[in-house]
Amino acid sequence: MIPSDHFVRFYNEVFKFLDEQDGLQAYYEEISRHQELHCLRLFMEKGLEGMEEYWGHIRVEENCISTSWIEDGVRYSHMSRCPSLSKVLDNDAAPCAKYCLHCPGWVAPLMTKCGFYYIKYLRALDQPECYSVNSEDREKVEAIRQDLIRQGFRYIFTNLDDAAEVEANREKRHRLAAGKASAAK
Amino acid sequence: MLRYQENNELHRDFHGTTNTTLNYIADHYGVEALKTILRKTGHDVYKSIREKLAKGDASELIEHLNWFFYREQGKYRLSVSENEIVFEVFECPAIRHLRKLNLEPSPHVCLQTSEVNAGMCEGTPWRSEVKVLGEGHCIQTFRKEADHDSK
Repeated sequence: MIPSDHFVRFYNEVFKFLDEQDGLQAYYEEISRHQELHCLRLFMEKGLEGMEEYWGHIRVEENCISTSWIEDGVRYSHMSRCPSLSKVLDNDAAPCAKYCLHCPGWVAPLMTKCGFYYIKYLRALDQPECYSVNSEDREKVEAIRQDLIRQGFRYIFTNLDDAAEVEANREKRHRLAAGKASAAK
Repeated sequence: MLRYQENNELHRDFHGTTNTTLNYIADHYGVEALKTILRKTGHDVYKSIREKLAKGDASELIEHLNWFFYREQGKYRLSVSENEIVFEVFECPAIRHLRKLNLEPSPHVCLQTSEVNAGMCEGTPWRSEVKVLGEGHCIQTFRKEADHDSK
């Protein structure tokens, strides 16, 4: 058994192997499908509050130092000390230079599937600090992206360019919610 | 003393991600590639355990087995003698958690034990062996080869 405490150091070895095979993206999509087990229903039914619930639980279990809040239909998160990258850096094995990419790699497809726009942004890939925003409001998220570009953030990952798919899934989520509400009456 | 001190909260759902990863690598790159990654994890990540084993010091390996299985509420028995460590796991915490998540354990799930253990022993006088006796039940043996004492 690889202890769950040491999983991320195994993950790091997997990333190094897959990067050599040019296979990271397909793997992120597999992990995203796996994460649907934990997140899909929560995000579809509770939206931004469901994200707070999921990542609030992760904050405790993974010993994150982070804050998050919802304001005007946008969820903001600031991870001031990412435990995952911190462990990978505190490691006798070399870190994968692309380690941080796994996070937007699995979260972005899930957000698209749930009909939310998403941005993950970082200043560096070797520092355990990052930020993210989630919202179903495309204009607000696009404005945040433009502001991040102006601020000089070097790493910005988003699903804004998949807007047609996000919008279709947002409509689907709203229809499901409306169906449930009318069935409950 | 353990190289990686872990005593905070535990995120057991990582066992699910490990399980998915074992299947993914085996399905897309083959079981030998999976073994290579796992063995490298044992060799590189657990360098501290390996280097101590090379010097004849099994203390960190013993502490590692005991602490992480205790921490994850495994049921096990650890027997230590001068040249042999026998670690019998009666209920693997990883498999127990996969069942809790309604996930089918990967056919490769026990490779994470056998290959990581083998990687920890590479280049040392110690050899590892894993006998799987049933789901979640195995005997992990680490044996010091006698002829290394005279070298």
